Amino acid sequence: MKHEQPSMTQQRSKVSHLLLGAVALATLVAGEAAIAADALRDGRIGYVMTERRWAVYETEGGKTECPHGFNLGPREQFELLFPKSSGKVYTEMESHLMREGGAFHATDSKEPFPFYDAGGTMSYGMNLDGKIGPNDFQSPEGVKGIDNQLYRAIGCIGAYRMNGVVSFFDTNDMFKNGYNRWMIELTGVDNLTNDDDVTVTTYRGLDDLQRDGTGAAFAPGATQEVDVRWGQSFVFKLKGKIVNGVLTTDPIDTLKWPNSQPGVSSGYYDMRGARLQLNLTQQTATGLMVGYVDVEGFSHQLNTNWATHHQSYGQLSAPSLHRALRRLADGYPDPKTGVNTAISSAIQLTLTQVFLVHPDQKNVVAAAGR
Amino acid sequence: MRPPLKQFLALSTGLASAVVTTAALLIGTPLVAGAAAAAKDPQGNQSNQGAKDAASSKYWQSADMPEREPYRVEPMPPGFQVIVAEFEGPIFADHEGRTLYTWPLRSLRNGATGDRQTKASACTQEVLRVTGGLMSPYPAGLVLPDLDTRPSCVALWPPVLAPKDAKKVGKWSVIPREDGADQWAYDGYPVYTSVLDQQPGDVRGGTKMAGGGDGGVVRDPIGPKPAVPPEFQVLSSSSGRLLVSKERYSVYTWDGDGPNVSNCDDKCLVDWTPVRAPEIATARDGWVIIKGATGINQWAFRGKPLYTYNHDRGLRSFWGADVPGWHNIYTQRTLPPPEGFTVQDVEAGGEVLADSRGRTIYTYNCRDDSYAQLACDNPDSTQAYRLAICGNGDPKVCRETFPYVIAPAGAKGVGRLWSVIAIDPDTGHRAVPGQASLNVWAYRDRPVYTYAGDDKPGVTNGDGYGEFTGKRNGFKAFVFRDIFQGNAFRQ
Repeated sequence: MKHEQPSMTQQRSKVSHLLLGAVALATLVAGEAAIAADALRDGRIGYVMTERRWAVYETEGGKTECPHGFNLGPREQFELLFPKSSGKVYTEMESHLMREGGAFHATDSKEPFPFYDAGGTMSYGMNLDGKIGPNDFQSPEGVKGIDNQLYRAIGCIGAYRMNGVVSFFDTNDMFKNGYNRWMIELTGVDNLTNDDDVTVTTYRGLDDLQRDGTGAAFAPGATQEVDVRWGQSFVFKLKGKIVNGVLTTDPIDTLKWPNSQPGVSSGYYDMRGARLQLNLTQQTATGLMVGYVDVEGFSHQLNTNWATHHQSYGQLSAPSLHRALRRLADGYPDPKTGVNTAISSAIQLTLTQVFLVHPDQKNVVAAAGR
Repeated sequence: MRPPLKQFLALSTGLASAVVTTAALLIGTPLVAGAAAAAKDPQGNQSNQGAKDAASSKYWQSADMPEREPYRVEPMPPGFQVIVAEFEGPIFADHEGRTLYTWPLRSLRNGATGDRQTKASACTQEVLRVTGGLMSPYPAGLVLPDLDTRPSCVALWPPVLAPKDAKKVGKWSVIPREDGADQWAYDGYPVYTSVLDQQPGDVRGGTKMAGGGDGGVVRDPIGPKPAVPPEFQVLSSSSGRLLVSKERYSVYTWDGDGPNVSNCDDKCLVDWTPVRAPEIATARDGWVIIKGATGINQWAFRGKPLYTYNHDRGLRSFWGADVPGWHNIYTQRTLPPPEGFTVQDVEAGGEVLADSRGRTIYTYNCRDDSYAQLACDNPDSTQAYRLAICGNGDPKVCRETFPYVIAPAGAKGVGRLWSVIAIDPDTGHRAVPGQASLNVWAYRDRPVYTYAGDDKPGVTNGDGYGEFTGKRNGFKAFVFRDIFQGNAFRQ
């Protein structure tokens, strides 16, 4: 093939493009620097959630935490209950509808299938109860007493592992589902590296997320209007401190956190004893939300937002998981029965800096909890 | 079930007035006759006018308001007609006033069913006994419930047969059925009526609101196109036939304008953009071209200049109507819900229909997994699916989880959209005369519910309860406005 030399004009054009690119890059960098410098204004900085997943500590192939393998999903369980090889003709009533009804109407029946809790000694999370117990984990950073029994329940379910269907869609569907536009605003911030008294208020936003030029990540510096009309039940105030760039809040009795799939007009988690631990920069806040997630609410959110069909992709059996959640629940005992109603958990979060727009401050009040 | 012909004809009193004539359309007269007919109960009496909550009336029009959607006249087979239904707008009907439907082929999770274009009907007299396995994760071959009373597809969807000498006209053609009979087809798809439709103007077998997907292969009511200029579309929503631009942005009107006069000055134009009109167009069907405040050509509908909202957050939105004096515009809105019902802001983001206590109203969706895709969402169909979801098979648990909305003594329906029906609380079927029953509110002849898990107004915790997030065998909130999900535009 003949190689054609570029003409002078083409060469000049190429140089021009390179120069333009360099200028554009410099402008972009300068712009981001300017945004970064200005992100903390009047002691106030906001962030919007751009990534989330239930924290699952994984070793390769799950060899350490799931030595017996991964749990069965709806398809596998259905085949065990109603094997094709039996030659029997089953009715919808005794099979399909029994399974679907059972998902929404939990009983105290014994788990009929093998269920593998995640084992091992490592997990993400925080020490929620201040104790170091036999069921606690150690964090990758070496902190002992980590409370995350939800990890035991979901750690060997493919859907919740990295690249699992829940992990993927929880974030991916959040982008286009504004219902999940969860935000925090820090106020009273004198210094984003060290400040012993800051206030964190949670909100829901109304605007789309702003992606960067790659289309794959999110750019800081966008604006988000606070949803003061419909989002009041997601407004909470937490007190906290910043130490060496890490925000840690005090626990709040209940934090209601929106989480729905597209097309579903409901979905949230009640996090009891909720707290945040986030590494702060002028561009992002990354880290954990921890607390005791309400067990019945967790399963309700799962059943109303994830069809059995979608659960099947990740071998996620909602009835089996629900029984595991009840068994492993470790907090907030029912005052009458003494049965624990919530399970310790951790969510990995990435939030991107935004400027919050408050349409009418006088209408914004923190919810009073449950 | 399907009424005898004489009974159906008796119910058709006033049909002539419900049929909007071509002549009336050509001169753009309001469709008063259609409205009057639609607002009468089966005895011909004027029915309840429904909720009178002025603050919420933006979503509905009173039953005696004349506004009905204008439509494009198109050639039809002899005896066929157009009826402007009270919620769905213009629909085709046969010579007896029965609404006409098609069943286009659509894909489900594991396969497709429905009619193929220009092919013979797939809706037959065979009573299907097992599932088709069209919806994962459940396999094909499971025995369907209530087999002893299970109808065939044809029993629920009678084909509209054509005479032997029938000729193709416009989009209408004739397709032979497998049994040799000729069936009318529209746009190449075989045409049916629904046994759920009891009166002319009933559209209970389906809806123009977007359906399908995981909700099943639904039947579509068919009708003529709305008579709107090319710059516009009409979308079916829970609050009626919403007028939007061709790009699907909502269109608004302003109280500050006069009849066919725009008073939107420079300050107003910061937030609102007139919908531009061509230089020349014939005024018809309520549409005229006016000179906007800045001298541009602007569309006006029914005397009201039209605008888009510069700050709308998305397509087919209701945001502009939050500005005092500004309103979404419809070719026709839905009828009011029963008196005492309310509209509530909900944390899901939007507004829902609620009962007198503010508890969200839910509808139940169901379609079986047979190749016939028969509906199981009404009291005349099997209740096995609903009872499984709301009560794990126990009717008492079901009534506690999703209670019926009880109608007060003497309550009457609103038009044909809202009615009071007597339900056997244990079976979920219609009660027979003399039987202990519950008088419950029904929408499109299907009971509506509240959810026990909604402990206060403003929540929709029951939305998505059931299979495929409530779309297939489950419950969905009655949404008028949904800023995040678009459920106001789905069935």
